[in-house]
Amino acid sequence: MAQQSPAGGKAVQGLRIIEYGEGVSAAFAGKVLADLGADVVKVEPPEGDPLRRRGPFHRDQANPEASGVFLFLNVNKRGVTLDLRRSEDRETFGALLEDADALVHDVAPKRRAELGLASGDLTRRHQALIVTAISPFGDTGPHASYEAHELTVANASGWAFLSPGASPHPELPPLKAFGSQHQMQAGLHASLTTLAALVSKRKTGKGQAIEVSQQECVAAMLEMNFMHWTYAGRETSRCGNRLLGPWFILDCADGQCFVVCVEEHQWQALVEFMGNPEWAKEEIFKDRIARGANMDALYALMSEWASTWKVQDLFREGQKRRIPFAAVNRMGEIYADEHLKSRGFFVEMTHPIAGSYRIPSMPLRSRVGSYAVRRPAPRLGEHNAELLAGKAAR
Amino acid sequence: MASPPLDGVRVLDFTWAWAGPFSTLQLAHLGAEVIRLESAKRPCVTRAIPPFADNQPGPNRAGYFNQYNQGKRSVTLDIRSPAGGEIVKRLVKLSDVVVENFAGGVIARMGFGYDALCALKPDLIMLSISGYGQTGPYSSYIGYGPPAGALSGFFSTSGYPGLPPSEIGISYADPNAGVWAANLIVAALLHREATGEGQYIDLSQWEAALMMMGEGLIEHAMTGRTPERIGDHDPQMAPHNTYKALGDQEKWVGISVGSEEEWRALCEVMGQKGLADDARFRTMALRKQNEAALDEIITSWTSTRDRWETTRALQRAGVAAYPPLSNKDLAENEHLRERGFLVALEHAEVGKRIHAGVPWTMSGTRTKVRKPAPLRGAAPDSVLRALLGD
Repeated sequence: MAQQSPAGGKAVQGLRIIEYGEGVSAAFAGKVLADLGADVVKVEPPEGDPLRRRGPFHRDQANPEASGVFLFLNVNKRGVTLDLRRSEDRETFGALLEDADALVHDVAPKRRAELGLASGDLTRRHQALIVTAISPFGDTGPHASYEAHELTVANASGWAFLSPGASPHPELPPLKAFGSQHQMQAGLHASLTTLAALVSKRKTGKGQAIEVSQQECVAAMLEMNFMHWTYAGRETSRCGNRLLGPWFILDCADGQCFVVCVEEHQWQALVEFMGNPEWAKEEIFKDRIARGANMDALYALMSEWASTWKVQDLFREGQKRRIPFAAVNRMGEIYADEHLKSRGFFVEMTHPIAGSYRIPSMPLRSRVGSYAVRRPAPRLGEHNAELLAGKAAR
Repeated sequence: MASPPLDGVRVLDFTWAWAGPFSTLQLAHLGAEVIRLESAKRPCVTRAIPPFADNQPGPNRAGYFNQYNQGKRSVTLDIRSPAGGEIVKRLVKLSDVVVENFAGGVIARMGFGYDALCALKPDLIMLSISGYGQTGPYSSYIGYGPPAGALSGFFSTSGYPGLPPSEIGISYADPNAGVWAANLIVAALLHREATGEGQYIDLSQWEAALMMMGEGLIEHAMTGRTPERIGDHDPQMAPHNTYKALGDQEKWVGISVGSEEEWRALCEVMGQKGLADDARFRTMALRKQNEAALDEIITSWTSTRDRWETTRALQRAGVAAYPPLSNKDLAENEHLRERGFLVALEHAEVGKRIHAGVPWTMSGTRTKVRKPAPLRGAAPDSVLRALLGD
């Protein structure tokens, strides 16, 4: 295949981004920009990004060069080490910023001054620089200095309060979704706003300071839940009922399959798929609202039928009949999926310590560019000589 | 302050439901002029489902629509009719970006596929969001947001220990795809500016969700394991949970401890300094190993105290804590209010209602919610006249 531009096209390819991260957020923003084609330089403290120590590690052998999450987040970046607590290194960092279009970081507001990362100072010193600062609660407001991990923000955004939804277990707490969703989502918003600020910079020649709040990014995506209060005075909860049915996870012979019928024709197709059982004609299942109100009975009846199916068969046979079934996939099933294979979604990586493994590429296909692995995640200080030589002397 | 970044960019928005409108909402926040094409025959599903203002149904009274279409214009027309098709073509010629989220292949069958539109506007940027992408064996499968949560592994990895796979409360794959789409559109605008080329982008909602499952996928790649369901616990940190607070079943407080310093501070705030050196809890690894006993001790402290009182006491001592907020809590949250995140603009039918606003600020270019969601029914002629300046 002919050599194409990166997925973001030629303009993104020319961008130089400096990333300084203490968690997943800035690294994810840097990842999106790097995968689109930008030249991203990751600056780590001399002891390395904390993610290098988190794992999961290849075959559970702890090694800062083979931490899975670090390897996933930092493909296509170059890496240098600088100790921003030292004034000499802050000078070198400043020289890196002189040549850069944008800095993306996730240092908490109260720790920025000591590292030379106060947004106002940076944009005054580097007029053309875009400074994108991600934090749990934003730069201002009464909770700006609050300590936070992923769980803290999952509670503060309002997502956990709604999760898992229709829970039969009021004694169990609001549920955080898997992984670092708030950090990643804020990273995704940080790459968006950084790209938008680059559009402005093309017109004005000027940079600017951007702040992205993890709490707000997710509070802005709670489906219709927020408006249930502000429009109708209704508090929604993890324990509420589904308004329409069927909508549940069914146990199959070898795992679980999710099903939801939003449209009446989907339900009709499902009844036929199940072999037109007598019970489906009952008044209590007459429309989606009635089926929602009688979900327990519906679940019991459908469970019996579903229990004889294999998950992947039920998913595909259901979808062939235009019924929204979905396999409750585990990781192995995702890696094995034929559709993702046909789209070339996973790419093969080879790493001297972590061996061979596959990672997600990007969720898009474009005629202009394509995803490419240009380099694996950087080893600690791998590009110091290449990128810092001459900078320190300025 | 300079004009917003996407000032002067016109987006023709064929999207409906949630993922698509969420993508063009981001573009509207950034200053683009977004024109939503609404079907005369089939109103957007989000105009037809609750919540409605004061529980009175009506297409302009739906909170779902009014939240995710802030700052946009709307045109109502029958795009499948010859007259409607002609109007769409005129609008395409006047636009920079087209976004759509019909099922794979549908828009091409309507006659508005990329090749057809590109003939009208050679440097057009067009992005399609579909459940599974435009190619591959599942390309015509039905892809709502909740099924995407199952397929992308969120259900199998989220949930309480010892219980089956679990849903995650919101249809996360939808807005996630929307933010990915907005990223790709802005990158495409930069590319067009540099080269004069437009492009077509095929975005898969499932794949966008899988990007956010990277931590789980890489765990499998490194160790062969699928992450276990651990509720609000963490694979390493302990204590790390959401604990019962004083009050009804909706009152809780999340507490997480990531260092020895934070652990000592927690013990001190609980008035149990001695606990810090208890042989069961002396190191993070020991605390993780004995976290059931630890959770019990913490619950006996939190369950008799107000969730905010606990939050403030712990945050003063440098320990991460926050209550799970309900929709009401969010609307009344002093922090969000002071930051200006909550927006209430005057809407012709529902008046001033609080909506979620823009989750970022930009110091040099104004990005804000500029107007409330559009009313249904604007005739194409009036909008076209405004665009053509006659």
